[in-house]
Amino acid sequence: MLTRLRATLVGLFQRDRFEHDMAEEMRFHMRAYADDLQRAGLSPEEAERRARMEFGGVESLREDCREAYGFQWFDELRQDLRYSVRQMVRAPGFSAAVIVSIALGIGANTAIFSLMDAVLFRTLPIADPSSLYYLAHQSAAGTWSTSSNYPLFDRYKSADVFSGVTAYSGETFTVATADGRERVNGQFVSGNYHEVLGVPIVLGRGFSNESDQPSGQPPVAVISHEYWERRFARRQDVIGQILSIGGRAVAIVGVTAPDFHGLDSGYRTDITMPIAVNVLDEPGFLSDREGWTSLSIIGRLAPGVTEGRALAAVDAIFTRFWWEPENAWARDPRSPSEFGRLTPAGKGSGWLRERYATPLRMLMGMVGIVLLIACANVANLLLARASARAREVAVRLSIGAARARLVRQFLTESLLLAGIGGALGLAIAMASSGAILSLFDTGQYPIRLEVGLNGRVLAFTIAVAILTGVGFGLAPAFSATRVDLTQALKESGMVRHRGRLAVGKTLVVAQVALCVLVIAASGLLVRSLRNLRTFDAGFQRDNILLFNLSTGDQSFTPESRAALYEQLDQRLRRLPGVAVVSFSSRSPIDNSAETRGIVVPGFQAPGRHGVSAYVVTPDFFQLFGIRLLRGRGFDASPRAGAPNVALVNEAMARFYFGSSDPIGRTLRFGTEQESSTIIGVVEDSRHEALREAAPATVYTPFWQPAKGLDGKADVRDRVTVEIRTTRSIEALEASVRNEVRALSKNATVWYIRTMQQQLDAALIRERLLAKLSSGFGVLALLLAFVGLYGVMSYRVARRVREIGIRVALGATRGIVLRRVLRETLSVAVAGLGIGLAAALATTKVVSAFLFELSPRDPALFAMVAVLLLVTALIAGYLPARRAAGVDPLQALRSE
Amino acid sequence: MPKPTELLPGTLDMLILKAVSLRPLHGYGVLLRIAQISGNALQIPQGSLYPALYRLERQGLIAAEWGESDNNRRAKFYTITAPGRRRLKEEAEGWDRLAAAIYAAMNATASEV
Repeated sequence: MLTRLRATLVGLFQRDRFEHDMAEEMRFHMRAYADDLQRAGLSPEEAERRARMEFGGVESLREDCREAYGFQWFDELRQDLRYSVRQMVRAPGFSAAVIVSIALGIGANTAIFSLMDAVLFRTLPIADPSSLYYLAHQSAAGTWSTSSNYPLFDRYKSADVFSGVTAYSGETFTVATADGRERVNGQFVSGNYHEVLGVPIVLGRGFSNESDQPSGQPPVAVISHEYWERRFARRQDVIGQILSIGGRAVAIVGVTAPDFHGLDSGYRTDITMPIAVNVLDEPGFLSDREGWTSLSIIGRLAPGVTEGRALAAVDAIFTRFWWEPENAWARDPRSPSEFGRLTPAGKGSGWLRERYATPLRMLMGMVGIVLLIACANVANLLLARASARAREVAVRLSIGAARARLVRQFLTESLLLAGIGGALGLAIAMASSGAILSLFDTGQYPIRLEVGLNGRVLAFTIAVAILTGVGFGLAPAFSATRVDLTQALKESGMVRHRGRLAVGKTLVVAQVALCVLVIAASGLLVRSLRNLRTFDAGFQRDNILLFNLSTGDQSFTPESRAALYEQLDQRLRRLPGVAVVSFSSRSPIDNSAETRGIVVPGFQAPGRHGVSAYVVTPDFFQLFGIRLLRGRGFDASPRAGAPNVALVNEAMARFYFGSSDPIGRTLRFGTEQESSTIIGVVEDSRHEALREAAPATVYTPFWQPAKGLDGKADVRDRVTVEIRTTRSIEALEASVRNEVRALSKNATVWYIRTMQQQLDAALIRERLLAKLSSGFGVLALLLAFVGLYGVMSYRVARRVREIGIRVALGATRGIVLRRVLRETLSVAVAGLGIGLAAALATTKVVSAFLFELSPRDPALFAMVAVLLLVTALIAGYLPARRAAGVDPLQALRSE
Repeated sequence: MPKPTELLPGTLDMLILKAVSLRPLHGYGVLLRIAQISGNALQIPQGSLYPALYRLERQGLIAAEWGESDNNRRAKFYTITAPGRRRLKEEAEGWDRLAAAIYAAMNATASEV
């Protein structure tokens, strides 16, 4: 192998030198021998002659030397290639059809594979990622989470099965810049984060023993390479620079390596600060056990510790913690047990992989089918051409070429075509990656993936190209070289290969069947997306604009914050085209969840339960079209000293109060001192997930915050503002920002979007599937069309004589036309039948992504059938018209 | 002077390896050296040496390098490589066994049968 490689390399790059050296070496030999002969007494001429003669035939010796050196293989390959290029150039239409088919097929495959590579296969660029595990927990039912809280992290710190345990919590920071404020993705981490994970640092230092308790020292931060580039243009003096984050001065102490973006796959973590900074804002963070936070805990296995042993230790610690009375809030009364769990962290947090593994596999399956359809086309084209080249093959066989050599020649041709197609496909995939990535790049926290050419993607493309080349080239190669010599040479280039037409038709039937599969699946996914985008989820989606507003800056007091909201509310209402304005703690389907523990006196199961909680202004319900079913709504303006009130939704009323009237009943939040009285019931609306029924929900008044356990009643510092308007987002964005800026320089506005955009951000998977699969559906249909058209054209061309005779014997053009059309349709119907049966059997694999649609939806399958039959008719009509136009005289004379 | 003997098939490679194992030689030198060490008993057709040399070079048993010949001409010199030395040893041992066996067979007398 190695010597062949060397021969190939020498052959490729140093062939001239090799030949030159060989000639010189032989010349030297003859000269030296002649010298010796002369010395022995021969005349110079005689010596020269004898030397030349005794040496032997120089040309044949050289040929022997080339072969001995291993060039024969290479030279033949070169011959084959040269011949293949000639063949390719000679039939440009054919070559283009083949190359484009392969390029589209491979392009689609490489595009999806590179996406899979980015989402599923990459490991983090940190030290020994395989020994890192999330210390998660899971319920008896199997649902699990990495969310924990600091007290639990505290328990894990001392576990000796880990060489280090650390924790992080994603956060968005507001950073002051020269021209305003920007929102930057970041995280709070435990003080040993960079050391435990082994994060590569390019400048300064990472965190190894920062204190999690505020120590009075000025806060510090480590920034990402990307942020260093963006904000500081990679200046070396960045260490020691001060960032103003949320109004607090933070000193930069380090910059991480370029490939490290944090552990949450798909997000870029730009600023990392110790948990101690968070504690300054949230004094209870280190001791609070009244809920899970976004804190995730990670441990690195100590050397020699197995996963099993570590899990046992984690489970023991978790279980002890779980059953402590302080955790009663977390236990689901129906299934109270939870267990410790280890989840590999070497590829980062698994949420992206979990969400996208199935959709990506489904898409990979579809592009695999598309490639098969493309291959069938190519095989058909090659088969057709094999017939046309039968005479050439016969001639070469009869003058002594080995069949194996001819098979190799044909394979070289198909590999060359596949190679060019593959290269083009790679280019298509890379060019389309931006469009595919933009499907992810939406929402408040856009998913940012790095898709690009790397070794894995390249290897995949090359492997697929070779497989395709060999796969579709092998059968035609053997078929082409199986030629009846006497017949082939006797006939004038037209050889009937028995069974070749049948093979062609079978391939087209298969193509149509595969095409039906792809189109049925994509049709289902497209229809489901439309259902999700339009069904009544219990709230209005149109003409609503939302933005996030943060008043978390140090400069705000509870009073100034509330005043800002009130003034902003009035100012926004005065904007032209604005109908309703509301403020709320969150909004429907904004990918947030706020579950609060409540106690409902008189409820049969005593203790605390979790309910979905909202804080809203009165107009929230009108704005979203959520109707008040009973009782009354919130007061329009705050009243000092008013009693605590709440609204509940139907699900809440049903669960806690059954058939009795909830109005006038009370409930108390675990974090509040006083009870709230229920004053009304509102309609259910799906607000946490579009596919899930509305959870039990409590709404409390935005303008009248209840007193917390610390006796303070503050309005929220992070709110969502909703505006019902007929104006476009572009028209309003600037005025919204102006109004906020006019009131305060320290309030931050971000993520201005329409409600529809917000919903789309929650439907990334569905959109990804619908858009890409419909693209692949179109591709499959196009390829099947080309296949049908090609085979029918070929059949018509082969039978010109027969058709001519028929016409001469009195067949009308109509009869000829119908015959060809009938044949096309019979192929299409056969394919359609098989395809529909296969689709009925397999479309349930996409059912997890369907919405209000059966995977065997009859209307959709009927549409697919019609679409394919129409396509088949068009594909058959063109050759049929050509057949009908055959001139019998010419057809009979032509041979 | 004994009459030159034709080579047994397969022995040319072994002889070339032996020749270049003594010192680096160019192609013509290999020919002379074989003639010399075999006491002119073995004759190799001149040209047929080269395919054998190229084959041995390809197999990595000998290595080639351009240098100056005795009379200052540019010539390609062959040296034996480590794998070549190993191969030479194996072949020589094989040859010894074969030669001994054939010698013993050919000198058998009636009483030994």
